[in-house]
Amino acid sequence: MKQLIKLTVNGESYEMAIEPRMTLLDVLRDILGLTGTKSGCSIGNCGSCTVLLDGKPVLSCLLLAVEAQGKDILTIEGLAQNGQLHPLQQAFIDHGAIQCGFCTPGMLLSAKALLDENPSPSEDEVKEAISGNLCRCTGYTNIVKAILEVAQGQKEAE
Amino acid sequence: MVTSTLGYLLTLPRFNYSAPSTVEEACSLLSKHKSEAKILAGGTDLLVSMKKRKISPRYLIGIKAIPGLDYIQFDQDGLKIGALATLRSIASSPVVKDKFGLLAAACRKIGTPQVRNMATLAGNVCQAGPSQDGIPPLLVLEARLKLVSTRGQRIIPIDQFFKGPFQSALEDNELLTEIQIPTPPVRSGGCYRWATKITAIDETLVGVAVLIKSDPAGKLCEDVRIGLCSVAPSPIRARQAEELLRGRRVKDELVKQAAQVAAGETSPRSRADYRRCMTLLLVERALHEAWRNIKNFPSGRQLL
Repeated sequence: MKQLIKLTVNGESYEMAIEPRMTLLDVLRDILGLTGTKSGCSIGNCGSCTVLLDGKPVLSCLLLAVEAQGKDILTIEGLAQNGQLHPLQQAFIDHGAIQCGFCTPGMLLSAKALLDENPSPSEDEVKEAISGNLCRCTGYTNIVKAILEVAQGQKEAE
Repeated sequence: MVTSTLGYLLTLPRFNYSAPSTVEEACSLLSKHKSEAKILAGGTDLLVSMKKRKISPRYLIGIKAIPGLDYIQFDQDGLKIGALATLRSIASSPVVKDKFGLLAAACRKIGTPQVRNMATLAGNVCQAGPSQDGIPPLLVLEARLKLVSTRGQRIIPIDQFFKGPFQSALEDNELLTEIQIPTPPVRSGGCYRWATKITAIDETLVGVAVLIKSDPAGKLCEDVRIGLCSVAPSPIRARQAEELLRGRRVKDELVKQAAQVAAGETSPRSRADYRRCMTLLLVERALHEAWRNIKNFPSGRQLL
């Protein structure tokens, strides 16, 4: 039986009737058309479906959409503000931290959650923060460099 | 049925979902649906099993909306962890890191940051798998589990909870609401050590928790508990090894012997040779590390 639910995604409110077995990932991609969030392994190993739930990275493939009600959901589509890329997005481009791009949305959101909580992380803390996001192109070095550069930049701007 | 090349389906099977707002309500749903129902907390194990069609429960009872179940409380009786406390909140809790360091270490080892933001320690216990990292620390800390049903509640020691691979003493109508952990004794130190498969989620091949207590002179092992996971159908205590150490002087030779005895107490279901070898190695290292971790020793000196 379908249930009426209300979700807040990237600051916008959406109402829809869904089967409870739909995951947040299913709803984001197939109902809201927000296909920036990627469907990789779908069993919680790869991290490509990562979104932020009240600021914390979670796996949208293992979260029922009905249980995401009342939470602030941030997807990659909500990262740029007023047409301006988020500093992390710009740093990923500048450092060539994007190869095939499939892991990038989840990687960026894990990085954002880290910097929001810990503005000047060590290299190890960066690696730990993205340890749940697999990059099959194995481009980790530039990803870590990009995140550290943004952290450094924020520090200097203060 | 369509099967994907992955060996599992991307969608969940159909189920009826309810989200009770109290423990009582959850229990009455459980007693109504019994084995047809499953409790959904973090979901990181349950929903994977459902996508793999290992289980297809008719009813899912989501407990995340029950207020006040995500607590981590510490007082003179010890630590109390509510059913909805996530692995991340436990691993980063100052009091857990300070007084129950081996539990914080084990929680931090599980899964990935995203999994730890979702998964609960209570779920890790209820899963009752042989390789759940949360269990060995709870075994050596002699945790108790509060199981609630419509008929009331019972509190059982954790070493009576596991009945076999993915089988536990939890009845169909019961909900694990709280994990109670006594404060470790004075002059004690602990640690958690592990070896893993090298995969995305690094499932544990051997997990070793040790809690050791010194005598007032800092020489003898007054008490010791060794908890192992992934080396038997259920997590176990290595009680013969503990017995060997108790009351004796902690020296390299004795620690080696104890590790050998512990390895002999295992009954791995697969890769038996490797798991026994690693048990031997890790128990030896864990005993040394736990002994070094003994804090607040009156003289403040290093013990080894």
